[in-house]
Amino acid sequence: MKRLQPQRWSSSVLSPQVRAGCRLQRRIQHGLRYQTTTTPFPVTEAEAKQPIQDLVPPPKKRSSRSAISKHSLPSPPVKAARESAKLAALHARLYLPARLPLETLARTLVDESADPNPDFNNESLATLGHDLLTQYTSEYLICTYPRLPMTVIFAAMYAYVGPKTLSAMVKEWGVELAVAPGGEVDPGHLQFKRLDPGVNPNQPLKNPNRPYENEATWRRSISSKIVYDDVFGEPVRASVDPRQQVQSADRYAAGVTPEQACSQFVRAVLGAIYLHAGRPAAKRFFEQHFISRHLNISDLFNFREPARDLSRLCARENFEPPYAKILSETGRLSRHPVFVVGIFSGKDKLGEGSGSSLLEARSRAAVASLKGWYLYSPLNVRLPNSMEEEGAAPWKPVHVDLGEVIV
Amino acid sequence: MASTFVTVKRPFLTLPFLLPSSCEVLSLTPRRSQSSYRRTKQRLRVKPDASFGSFSSHVEREHIIHNPPSSAPSVYHTPAKFLPSDDIRRSLCTDSSIAHEDPAALTPLNESPGPKRYHLNPSDVLEIRRLRTSDPMTWSRSKLAKRFDCSPLFISMVCGASPEKKEMQKQVLEAVQSRWGTKRRMAREDRKLRKESWGRDC
Repeated sequence: MKRLQPQRWSSSVLSPQVRAGCRLQRRIQHGLRYQTTTTPFPVTEAEAKQPIQDLVPPPKKRSSRSAISKHSLPSPPVKAARESAKLAALHARLYLPARLPLETLARTLVDESADPNPDFNNESLATLGHDLLTQYTSEYLICTYPRLPMTVIFAAMYAYVGPKTLSAMVKEWGVELAVAPGGEVDPGHLQFKRLDPGVNPNQPLKNPNRPYENEATWRRSISSKIVYDDVFGEPVRASVDPRQQVQSADRYAAGVTPEQACSQFVRAVLGAIYLHAGRPAAKRFFEQHFISRHLNISDLFNFREPARDLSRLCARENFEPPYAKILSETGRLSRHPVFVVGIFSGKDKLGEGSGSSLLEARSRAAVASLKGWYLYSPLNVRLPNSMEEEGAAPWKPVHVDLGEVIV
Repeated sequence: MASTFVTVKRPFLTLPFLLPSSCEVLSLTPRRSQSSYRRTKQRLRVKPDASFGSFSSHVEREHIIHNPPSSAPSVYHTPAKFLPSDDIRRSLCTDSSIAHEDPAALTPLNESPGPKRYHLNPSDVLEIRRLRTSDPMTWSRSKLAKRFDCSPLFISMVCGASPEKKEMQKQVLEAVQSRWGTKRRMAREDRKLRKESWGRDC
């Protein structure tokens, strides 16, 4: 399998202003910049499709360019990226590949609410980065713990790549937030339009694709969350249909929260690394910054009826029915007794738990046995994305489980 | 300020008879004397345990002693019964490397209910339903269970209580709870919260 050449198919994402090398390209970039502002020189579609060689920069346009002040731009100009010390420091601090130019890094810091022009904001990069992040994380979770219930997968996804984690990462990376976006702002700041005070950012979102959306009191099943909701099991922000996204400018007219802007930035960084430095660099960045974060998955469980679930599980898997035995105890007649109870199926011990009453110890032992079942992890886990590399060994199917216990 | 503190402290420390014996050990500099060295060596000379491996057969061979302190087992160690059939760890766990205690010799948590009997027929079930709907005050769940020699759970599976009976039970419960004071109410609520935390294992 040959590696994809990202430059060719991603030309819409890697717009010409990021390659500020030659004079001709700079000429195009000025034309694009005029689009965002009031310009006497609109670039038509036919003109934009013209090959670069045909465009000859007339000298009088240069003078008109210098007339545009930075204050009239919605986001910093492209050439300011080379002059920003903060941006260079961020590039070095994150140990980003040298093939990722500072101009693109500056673009990842411009949110859609700051600059609605898709050629200058990070929306397209963030979309790509979000898809990569969720794909890598879900692959890792499902292949490492094939028996996890869906609710735990949702919670683990949220913990690894949820907006709260991403905004915490931005804080750790030392990225500062601009008070207000504008052309005069240092491009090393994260720029977005802040939500006005008094606006509730947590308004319940409505998904028009979902049936019975208006029934507020109805329970939302896990299966419907898989189909209709996003990767965290939460209602999606907007419909995926691009025809309904034309009014994206007034979608963000009210502004966004810092959390949303920070998460868009982190996703855009991963997308930019993928486009400029390729897949291996993106995977390395993902491993170093996301999967390396410690998450104790056994803390994400919450059982209401562990003993009943365990007996259902044993019946489903044709094990002997579970029974509890006291392994050890101390101070039964004292104020603080401790019982250690084990749960057995046949002659095998499934789990043990301790507690200050027999009922508590039995319940905790059942929880431990259920976690022992759900947290099974196969040896030598191989992720499906390893097949993308050249000369990969033939794929062996991963362990697939029957699914969680349904009572 | 630190210097004055030291000057005050020093003559006090030079007179060890003023201090209690435990304080003396802590305040003196941790210089290892010969007696403490010997004590340390003695502490390290532990009796060989069964878990250390058999010393008699291969004394000369170097090996690792794995004797962890007793603690709750990790939930990430899947029990051998829960491993899928194609997992290599299944064959490793089943041999005698792990000494299992015989579960039959252990004390049971509560007396087992025994094998299921299935001794009630459909006419008995109809009779249970008739009795419970006709006179719910007399024929409570426990009385029906005693009469038909089954568990109260089975009675509730067969038929539910009438709405009037439920309403009355609710009123009785409210009357009882209205007599509770702050302490008892809080203790009850805490108990409920604690019970919920068992399922989260915290």
